[in-house]
This record gives sequence, C-alpha cells and structure tokens, in this order.
Amino acid sequence: MRLAPLLVSLSIAAVWAAEAPVTFLRDVAPILNKVGCTSGPCHGAAKGKNGFKLSLRGYDPQFDYEALLYDLNGRRFNRAEPARSLMLSKPAQEVPHGGGLRLEKDSAYYRIIENWIAQGVPFGDPAKDAVASLEVEPKEIAMPQPGQSAQVKVTARFLDGQTRNVTGEATVESNTPDLARIEEGSKVKGERTGEATLLVRYQGKLTTIPVTILNPKPGFVWSKPAAYNYIVTLIDAKLEKVRIQPSPPADDATFLRRVGLDLTGQLPTPDEARAFLADPAPTKLKRTKWIDHLIGSPAFVDHWTTKWGDLLQSSRKYLGEKGTYGFREWIRASVAGNKPYDKMTRELLTSRGSSYDDPAANYFRVTRDPKPTMEKTTQVFLGVRMVCAQCHDHPFEKWTQNQYYQMAAFFSAVGLRPGYEVGEEILFDLRAGDDARNEMKHPKDSRLVPPEFLIASAHPVKIPSPQKRRDAFAEWLTSKENPFFAKAVANRVWSYFFGYGIIDPVDDIRASNPPVNPALLDALTKDLVDHNFDLQSLMRTIVSSRAYQSSYVTNEWNEKDATNFSHAMPRRLSAEPLMDAVASAAGARPRFPEVPLDTGADQLPDPHVGKDGFLDLFGRPSRESACECERRADLSLPQALNLVNGSTISDAVADPKGRVARAILAGKTEPALVEDLYLAALSRFPTKAESERAVEYLTGGPRAARAQDLLWALLNSKAFLYVY
Amino acid sequence: MLNIPGQPGQTCEGPTRRELMRIGSLGLAGLHLPGFFLSQKAALANKVAEKYAGARGFGNAKNVIMIFLQGGPSHIDIWDPKPDAPDNIRGQFKPIKTKIPGTWIGEHMPMMANALDKVTLIRSMSYTPNGLFNHTAAIYQMLTGYPPDKVSPSGQLEPPNAADFPTAGSHISKLIPLKEPVLPFVELPRPLQESGIIGKGGAAGFLGKAYDPYRMYQDPAGKVTLEDLSLRKDMPPDRLKERFELLKGINQSMPELEKALNASAVDEYYGKAYDLVLSGKARDAMDLTKETAKVRERYGDHTFGQSVLMSRRLIEAGTKFVQVNWPSVANGDPEKTAWDTHAANFGPLKNLHCPKLDRSLSALLEDMDARGMLKETMVIAIGEFGLSPRMGVSTSGNSNSPDGRDHWPYCYSAVVAGAGIGRGVQYGESDATASSPKEKPVHPNDLLATMYYALGIDPDMEIRNHLNQPRELVKGKIVTGLFA
Repeated sequence: MRLAPLLVSLSIAAVWAAEAPVTFLRDVAPILNKVGCTSGPCHGAAKGKNGFKLSLRGYDPQFDYEALLYDLNGRRFNRAEPARSLMLSKPAQEVPHGGGLRLEKDSAYYRIIENWIAQGVPFGDPAKDAVASLEVEPKEIAMPQPGQSAQVKVTARFLDGQTRNVTGEATVESNTPDLARIEEGSKVKGERTGEATLLVRYQGKLTTIPVTILNPKPGFVWSKPAAYNYIVTLIDAKLEKVRIQPSPPADDATFLRRVGLDLTGQLPTPDEARAFLADPAPTKLKRTKWIDHLIGSPAFVDHWTTKWGDLLQSSRKYLGEKGTYGFREWIRASVAGNKPYDKMTRELLTSRGSSYDDPAANYFRVTRDPKPTMEKTTQVFLGVRMVCAQCHDHPFEKWTQNQYYQMAAFFSAVGLRPGYEVGEEILFDLRAGDDARNEMKHPKDSRLVPPEFLIASAHPVKIPSPQKRRDAFAEWLTSKENPFFAKAVANRVWSYFFGYGIIDPVDDIRASNPPVNPALLDALTKDLVDHNFDLQSLMRTIVSSRAYQSSYVTNEWNEKDATNFSHAMPRRLSAEPLMDAVASAAGARPRFPEVPLDTGADQLPDPHVGKDGFLDLFGRPSRESACECERRADLSLPQALNLVNGSTISDAVADPKGRVARAILAGKTEPALVEDLYLAALSRFPTKAESERAVEYLTGGPRAARAQDLLWALLNSKAFLYVY
Repeated sequence: MLNIPGQPGQTCEGPTRRELMRIGSLGLAGLHLPGFFLSQKAALANKVAEKYAGARGFGNAKNVIMIFLQGGPSHIDIWDPKPDAPDNIRGQFKPIKTKIPGTWIGEHMPMMANALDKVTLIRSMSYTPNGLFNHTAAIYQMLTGYPPDKVSPSGQLEPPNAADFPTAGSHISKLIPLKEPVLPFVELPRPLQESGIIGKGGAAGFLGKAYDPYRMYQDPAGKVTLEDLSLRKDMPPDRLKERFELLKGINQSMPELEKALNASAVDEYYGKAYDLVLSGKARDAMDLTKETAKVRERYGDHTFGQSVLMSRRLIEAGTKFVQVNWPSVANGDPEKTAWDTHAANFGPLKNLHCPKLDRSLSALLEDMDARGMLKETMVIAIGEFGLSPRMGVSTSGNSNSPDGRDHWPYCYSAVVAGAGIGRGVQYGESDATASSPKEKPVHPNDLLATMYYALGIDPDMEIRNHLNQPRELVKGKIVTGLFA
C-alpha cells in the first residue's frame, strides 16, 4: 500500500525539482518564524507544544528540521500529495490545530512549503543556504520633522553569494516605539523629535538602523562652542548633525559642587568654596588644579572603594565580617594605588589560597559556583549579560547556549574548602583527573563542554589544564585586543559622571543596544588602553571636558535632549553622598553602629552597617547582585517624608555641637551666619535677595531656632538634594 | 488665602490644622486649582452619574482592598476542584462543602469554605495573553488593563518606566479626591517582583511618580518604625509651616533648576509629606499594636496575615486603595511560599500556602463584615493567572516537576466581595477540567472595569498618556451580574 505512492512521488518530485530548488534553511525556516510556529507560547516553548517542539524563534534550524522530519515517525510529510501533509494541513487548519490558522491554503508561503515537500524536503547546504549578512536600505533614517514615514527594505545575503529581498519575513522593531513607530511590518513613522534605533532581525542575524527625527523649528544656527579636548569634538560632531545646541559651561560654584560630589562623593567645605570662588586664576587653570587636587584624595579613595565594593558584592552576607573588611581593604589599596584596571581584574580572577592571606579570593566566595561566577564576571568586566543563554541560544544576539557553558567551564575547576581559622576559606583549583563533577555539561545532551572564549582574540590564548584555566581566562579577558573589556569600563565610568552611559544600561552591551555616539565610545576606549588602563587618567579626561562642565540650564535646541550629553542633567545625590552631605553641611559628626565615630556613609564596609535606615531608603545597593541597577536615585514619598520629618536632617540641624550651635555661640552676625549656611549647604554665596530674606527671618524670633529652620530648609531644597 | 469651595472656612481661632495642611499641599505643590477647573471636574462627575443613573452597583464603593496573589495560585487545587477529572488533572486534594450550596472548594481552605457566604466566587476568569506569559507580563495585564507593549523574546520585561500604563491604585488615587490626610495608595508588604524586575505593573507610569504607591518596605509582622509618618515632638505645626515657607522661597530663587526638575515630582512628594505628618492618621493606621493579640492572631502570625490586617486599618483611616501582595517573589521558590508551584505543588500548597491564605482572607472578610465595612469597600483576591490543570506540562517554557502545574491564564478563579457584590454566590463556571470557562467568562479588564464602576468612575473615560495621546481607562465590560 505504501510503496506505490512513494514511487509516484518520485516522479512528481522530479517535476517540482525542475523548478527553483526550495530548501529548509533558505526558504522554509523563515516562514516558520514569520507565522509564529517557533514563538515562545507555541512550539518554541522549552518543552514544545502538544508534543512538537521547535527551537525558540528558530535559533537551531538543524534541530527544527530533524523534529519535523523524524518526530511522529516522519508522518508529517506526504510526498505523493504534498497538500495532504500534516506540515500543511495543520497550520492551514484543515485538521484541528491548537495554534489556529497560520497559513492560508494556497497562499505564497503555503506554496513554498508544498513545493519543498514535493522536492523531497531538502535541508539545504549550511555552507550555501545560511544567511551570511543582512543589508538594509536605508542604512540610516533622518527625517526633517515628525509625521513622516520611511520604508525599510531588508535584503539577505546567503553564504553562496545570492541575495533575496526578505522585507516581508524579517522582523523590524523600534527600541522607542513612541518616537519611531513601526507600521505594516516594515514601515517606520516618525512620531516626535529625537533619536531611536530600529532592530532588524532575520534568521539569526541582526542589524540596526539609527533613526533621527529632527526638530523642524526654523532658525537653528550652529555656533561652535569651545572644545577642551577630543570628547567635546566628538560630541559636537553629533550635536551639529542632529540640530542640538549645547549649553555653555557652568559657573564656578556649580562646577565646584558637581565635581566634588562626582569624584569624591563629598561637598566642598565653606572654606574650600570661598577660596575657589575667590581665586582669580583663569577658569580652565583653576578647575584643572582643583580636579588634580580631588583625584586620588582620601575622599576619592573612599568613594570609589564603595563603588567597586558594590560591583564586587563585598558583603558580610557572603564573606563574614572579617572577610568583608579584608576584601574592602584590598579594593581600597587598589583604588588608592591607582592599580591599572587590567591588573586589578587579573588579580581578582587568578587569586588563590587563603581568603585571609589573599583577600582578592573573596571574589569567588560571593558566587561560589561556576555559572553564577561566569555570569557576574561577564556582566561586570564585559558589560554582557549571559544569563538568557543558560537555557537557550539568545534568539538574536550572537551568544549561544553552548558559549554559556564554554565560558562557565573556565570556572568549573575552582574549589573552596574551609581554612584553619574561623571564617577562612581556601581557594584552589582541581587538577586534571580530580573529581570532575563540576565540569560543565550541555543540558541538551549532557556532553562535556570544554572551556572556550566568547570571542577569539587576535593573539590566540592557549587553554591549559584545569588548574590554569582561570589564568588563561584572565589573560584573554584583560587583553588589549578584547573588544569588550576596555569599552565596558570606559562606558561605565562615563556614566558615573553624566548619569547615563553612551551605551545604557551600562551592563547590557549587545548588538541591539547600540551606543548613542560610537565614535566617542571608541575614542574613550582607545584612550584608556593607550594609558594602560589608568582609570584616574580616564576620569581626569572626562571631568576636564566641556561636556562634563556644561551648565544644566538648557536652550530651545537642547531642552529635550536626554541622550547626547548636550547639557548637564540634575541627578539626585545617591544615598551615601546625600547622608554625608547632610552631616557636613550641618557640621554634625556621623554616627553609625559598629564603626568608629566620624566614619562617614561613604566609608562604611558593607550594607550591613546602618541597615534599613536612611541609606537603604535612598537606594544604597544591597550588593545582592553585580547589577548597576541596584543603586537607585529616584525620589519617592517615603523619602520626602524622611527628609521632612525623619531624624537624619532634623537631628543634624539641631545638633548641640553642630554648625548652627557653634555659629550662635561664636556670636556671628546674621548676614555672616546666612552666608556660612549657604556655602555649607549649596556651595555658593546667597544672592542679595536671598540674604536679605534670610536675615529678616533670623531676626524675627529666637535666633538659634530660626537658624535651624533656615538650615533645615536649605537641606530640603532641590539645590541640595540634587547634583546639577 | 486658598480655600476650596464647599469646605468650611476659617474659624475664629485662626487657621485649623486641616486648613494649614491644605495650604501647605496646594501652595507647595503648585496645584493651584482654579475654580473653573473644580467645577469642570464636578460637571464631569455629574455626567458620569447621569450616564449610570440607577445602574446596579454604580458608585457603591468608597475604596478597595486588592489581595494580589502574585505567582499564580493553582485554582484547581484551591477554588475549583474537579474530583471526577482524570488522575493527571485531579490532583491530590479532596473537595469540601462550602457555605455556597453546591459549590465545593479544596480541602485546605476550610475557613474560607465557611466564609464564602460573604463573597462571590468567580470561576471563569480568563484571558489570552499577548506574547509570552511570564509573571511580569501577566501582572502588568492584570493591574494596568493593558498588555505590555514591549515583551522581549526572552520574555523578560523592562523595569517600570514613565511610559507604562498606570496600575489601578494609581488611577484611583488620582481620580478620587482624598477626604482625609492619609496615604491614598498603599502597597504592602513589598512591591511586585519577578526575578530582578521590581514593581512592573505596580507603579504610576505616565501619571507620574506622585501617584506611585506608598511602599512600607517593612514587615508588618515585625516591629514597624514609622518615624516618617508622625510629627516630631519638638516641632509644633506652626514651625513646620514656617520651615516650608522658607523652603519654597529657596526653591523659587533657582527657577532654572525648578524647570530642569519639572518632571521629578519633588513638589508633589513634599506637599503630601507635609499633609501626612501634620495629621498623624497614617501612622496610627499602620500601628498594629493598637489591635488586640486575639485579632492579630486571627489574621495569622505571619507577614501576609499582618499585612491583610493592616489593610483593614488603612481603609478605616480613609486610604483609597490598599494592595496586599503575596510576600514571595512571583517566580520564587514554591517551598518558600511562592505561588509559582510548577516545580513542587501539593506539598507546599497543603503545608504553606493554603493555611496562610485561608486564615488571613477569611479573617479579613469576617472582620470587615462584622464592622459593616463590606458595605463600602470592595475586596478582591486574585493572582495574575491560575495554573495548568494538567500536571507536569510546560505551558510557559518552564521546566516542571511531574506534579507541578504551569502558568494558565485561560481559566482561573477570583474572590470578590463587598460594595454590593453578591454574597454567597458562584459566578461563572469552568469546564470539566477547569481549563476553560464553560459560561460567563470574565476578562481581567472586565474585573477592572467593574471595580472602577463600583467606585463611581466611568471605565470608558479618556485618559492621556505621557505623549498626551487619548487612551481608554480600561477596555473592559462592566459585569453588572456580579452585583446582588
């Protein structure tokens, strides 16, 4: 019974074969993606749907082909009468299909699949039929005003050199749908002024199209502002193109306050402010001098020790009290000595022995297992999030599930055992032939996955025995040729001074999250590498730029810009600097449990100290993850309640040995007292009107209480709560 | 001096405390409501009242308690048992009789079985999600009434942002004016969460941060400190007022900074903070030591139970919307009371989840009924979806244990009570396997529409998003059949 039709089918297939060959790779797989068969809720689910599983969004065509061919004993195809194949009758709903109607009978897609079955369901040649690259037209979209539309054309180039228009099958998405809206699959409509990125995907390949919608207002004339260094040249090149006029440099008082908070987390003292504002030296000279004074100062070291403590998750929850202090001291010494960033990273990753003798070993005590250690390491040092690839290939980024386990395998020989002292642990590496239970196994077929680098470097690094895997990894990671290592940290450091990265979020670098100014990021990266990973030098270059020093006051051309660094944007002081600023402005000594008196918030060892108080309310990271997103700088009602009525500000202004009390005892005149409080809180002199109003208030009642009221109001003002 | 029309004016002793508060919030927040705006608002309210005049249930509710069981409780094991279904569906629990004749529920909910005479049990909640149905996407759908527009292929959503549709409580705190100086919208004991995504679908989105919920970030079952909510002893109200006047002057002297921070809602927060500390009402409402040990015990000596008790106190004080989230992360470990029981189902439900939910929810309903609070307060207990009736199958891409059940939004159950909702009624019915509604399907948007309607809000009303584009408050049908 079954033989006869098979013979007939051969002749029919021969007829079809005379037409253009149809292959799974080139022709059929894109249809399965387009009509939704491979989507997450359908057959792309981890366990498939109704016994039929395809890879999520078709990331594994070989798997999908085999599933179609061999599941159900191959009953999905009727080569004699292709139209009676389940492969067609199911999606055309000629037989019941849980997923509903997916292919109209006799539609173009239907015909292609019919044709393919008739030709004998060939897979195709991966060396010819796979997509080599995507080309898009236009490569860049610029609209002179909102309200216009543009059609995107997508062409796939296959490995055999052939090309095909795949506009209908490709997926086009906008990263900012309310600015650039996608209509009818591949048309983009400009909704408002600004910039967006279109993500175009087809068969595992991804490309992006930048969209710029210009401000149609007439009268834009580019007036070239002064450039202090290459940073501004590169920012200005972009600004001129997108019709944005940057703000001029901020005045000295604003600069002084901003640069102090950003580099050291501390406000300038009233004396420092007086001296700086009175200094008649040329602006650029005195600002450079002040930057040099701050970089490397004790407060600078405290501030960046806290920052690295966040990223490396230095917390007694994982490390115990003694371990935390040890790790923190190691970080602190690295920051204080301006240890080159690549060296610091190598020391962390290749640490060995007792966690008390080599505190860098604590890096491995936080995450403990190879997979989380790898995820943390890639997120912190490469800015890449590998976590999705644990369960499946990333549907359109280039990281595969295989790579996830290959990268984790670099840490699979890491062992920890108790040391001789309480809380001590010994970090060691298993030898070849030791218990291999930690070796990475691929979840699909349990095969052993040996370590392999995410990206091959220009100078190949040999992967040695298990005992030396971490050394090889560190060498590869910190190599100057690694395209991610320097770039990730340059972008991260940049974001600390502007509130947002050139790629943002800074720890989610991927092809579909492109930099807003690639030339700028490349230049910063090169600068860092050329200076042997000297982070202080990078910071100096950044804060010396006009872009960093520009005013927050906007003009009609840049008031809507929030991505191109055309003006400063006010940022709420983060938790520790805010608490320290309250103490310093009020002249109150910081008091935390378990640490010596006068230990500031930015000097605390870990989030255990002062837990659940002011600092946590204002978004201090709990160091539960290495994500930059743990630190929050929003404002909320509970925070406002605390500032208005909580003990932190109220107690500080009323401190019996505080700034107000001392000034009253010293018998300061009202105008002098007002000037002192303004300088202490806002790092500037009061205006004449401000001074007069404040003096009038002070003389209207009991002086000490009234001075406390004034200081309270200054500490609750926006000019205090924000760095701007 | 500012005065709101229709409110009592100055007394001969000078401004009252309440007057001071009003001046504070209006003046500082810049919310100068001109008369014509107020009358417009009143006119709109009249129009809505006219539209629904005489309609069953309209405007019955003054406030809402939303018990949001994030994680997705398994409806077939808790609310909708199917003793005659095949082995791989029925599960291990036996059904028990309830106060609703003919309606049986799972055996581990005995106290609720006894309290069902006060509620309507909906057994036909149903929706088909847009894209992947992870928790966060479903929570967003449930509480905002809109599917998320940006589900990435991995199913992970972005954190909350200013373009999000507002959560129901934010709409309500904006649309219904507060009569008392209390927190309009409180979320207990912690925000919604799936993995690292915190608060998606539970924030004010394009309404602005001023309408975000007040989040306590403390465990009501432990010692709660509320120093931010009570006026300090050394601070008479007049002195606080003077401080605020000074503050206003300092801010106003830097107008460019005011402009740059226009969108950050600093003034709104300060206005609210001012009102709250002067009244002290919110603090009292959150002080559970004012309850007897017996009452506290009846609600359950755990985070969830004490949060539910606190929700009743907040409603009594005048809060408009209290949301009690199930305290475990939506996709957390079922052995640690997350409802997401696809990796372990019957053991955790029997020993951990059901006893807590049963005790606390029944306590709330009985207590509120005894106090007459169910007349004007609507209570809703629901999750973002139910769980698959068939065990061990993957519906969301999760891996499951043989007895585990996976995400199932196509049919599940909800408990609704108060504000005229039917008492001792079952609404809707599921099919033989509890996998799709047999009759009267209720979309989550329908439930939201019904809730807004009960509060006297027109669910069809137009709202404006962050781009000032017109949108509907919710696209849902009012289920008048839920009202007695």
